[in-house]
Amino acid sequence: MIRLEGLTKSFGGKCALHPLFLEIKAGEIFGFLGHNGAGKSTTFGLILGQLHPTAGEALIRGVSVQRNRLQALQGIGAIFETPAFYDYLSGWSNLKIFTGYTARLTDAELRETVEFVGLSKRIDDPVRVYSHGMRQRLALAQALLPRPDLVLLDEPAEGLDPEGIHEMRELILRLNRERGMTVVFSSHLLSEVEQMCQRVAILNQGRLIFNGPWTDLRGSDNHFELQLNNWPAAMPVLVKFGAAIVSHGTISLTQNADIADLIAALVQAGVRIQAVQPVRQSLEEMYLGTIKKEGAVPLPLA
Amino acid sequence: MNLFLFQLRNEFKKLFARKRTYIGFVAFLIVECAVLFLLNLPKPKEFFRHTIEKNGYGFDEYFSGLTLGLFMLEWTTLLLGGLYLSLVSGDVVAKEVEDGTMRMMLCRPVARTRIIIIKYLACLGYTGVLIGFIGVTALIAGICYRGLGGLFVFAPLEKIFALYKLQEGLVRYFGALAMLAFSLATISSIGFMFSCFKIKPATATISTLSLVFLDSIFRNIPYFESLQPYFITTHMSTWLNVFQPHIPWERVMEDYAYLVGLNATCLVIALATFERRDFKG
Repeated sequence: MIRLEGLTKSFGGKCALHPLFLEIKAGEIFGFLGHNGAGKSTTFGLILGQLHPTAGEALIRGVSVQRNRLQALQGIGAIFETPAFYDYLSGWSNLKIFTGYTARLTDAELRETVEFVGLSKRIDDPVRVYSHGMRQRLALAQALLPRPDLVLLDEPAEGLDPEGIHEMRELILRLNRERGMTVVFSSHLLSEVEQMCQRVAILNQGRLIFNGPWTDLRGSDNHFELQLNNWPAAMPVLVKFGAAIVSHGTISLTQNADIADLIAALVQAGVRIQAVQPVRQSLEEMYLGTIKKEGAVPLPLA
Repeated sequence: MNLFLFQLRNEFKKLFARKRTYIGFVAFLIVECAVLFLLNLPKPKEFFRHTIEKNGYGFDEYFSGLTLGLFMLEWTTLLLGGLYLSLVSGDVVAKEVEDGTMRMMLCRPVARTRIIIIKYLACLGYTGVLIGFIGVTALIAGICYRGLGGLFVFAPLEKIFALYKLQEGLVRYFGALAMLAFSLATISSIGFMFSCFKIKPATATISTLSLVFLDSIFRNIPYFESLQPYFITTHMSTWLNVFQPHIPWERVMEDYAYLVGLNATCLVIALATFERRDFKG
């Protein structure tokens, strides 16, 4: 659905996005994770042709956004972290105006989507009286018109209360489930991304440092909490196995080391093991661990 | 084409739904009332009486609603028209960029060129509506005050002094109004061009006003008389030539050709600038 080929962007000589190679398949929910300034919004802007890349190109269904933006953006909807509207006009007028840049839609088509996002009762009110949640719903409604097969959502849950976040998540999941829509969204809310996305890309300072399914990210999770009676005696064994002490009582093993072999070696060395427990890294720890990895380089296409 | 017209209609809807769009209309109504009040004072009235009667014409016939309407147009439009046209045209793109609605538009498969053309046409439409409103309300206010009558024209800078009967006066008045709208479209074009730059809406408005007012000020300084053909406002004031007994069409066409060229240049610069810009939140 989307293929980014060495997409690069600099602002005033400062690189905001290093060459980004990425592929997003049709029908999946794909998440971009990263801190503020990581390059998520820049990537979205480049995909939508709002920014001109310094190098590379974005292809949507094989059509280059940079060379043929009009064709590439057919069937795409998008919303931003702070969706902007004409506050002095009603939600309905805003929808008509924004969708009018794509096609002239019937009132029935508009009504259907307004109902889908649950804004029917307030759609004729001026947008200036809308709450943030209502604005997000209106933004989603305009992104869903006219029936896109790909939606780009830049921080869709930003500023929403927990209930709003839950509703937005449900709406997005419904879009994917019921309409088979490809959803690409960015967030710095890790739990959001985990609950919705099949695959993620983690950006840090404009570089792609992880791209793949969550399970791959969890695969690097090889931490154990040990309770030993004699740590000094255990140290040579731990060193031999390449284990690193990450915090008091917690060790990290390399991918090719087996905890069972380590336990046997510790017992042979006369160390009494009182408890062994795998430590499942929290999502946040995994994320932070990934972005802290030194020498992280962009991964090849998925 | 249908979609284009729909988008243009939406652009007008946006423009005329904003309160600030109407500031110019309200301001002109107030100014018209003030001018009428001032003209009712003895001294200005005496000036008109003296000038008209000195040339052998009847004061009561030529100090009419038509004359007052033209007087208001002549003395207020460049200053106030410049101000309010700059305000709206300077806003039209820059404000949307500042508010973030431009990014919302650019999510859609619509060409940047089309967005600019639509907004430019809306700007020109606003110019026409505002000038039409000023012309008609000035005439109505004048008629309410002095009734119908002949037209007395006095434009010293353009060296025009003329008197016309009611019918011919009306024809020339409305002809001049159309030409005035065309002239002032230049201010809208300049404002629109600045609006497409990466600047705040207020900066676009102030830049436009500065350019137009400086041009007008320099034009009125006798020292620069030899440079008159190079000032934009010289060409813009050609609408007054419609009140010459023999309209110098050649000069009028030349002036409007210059203005068309200037407007087209502004539009091309606006298009090129907008096309190359990055839009980021």
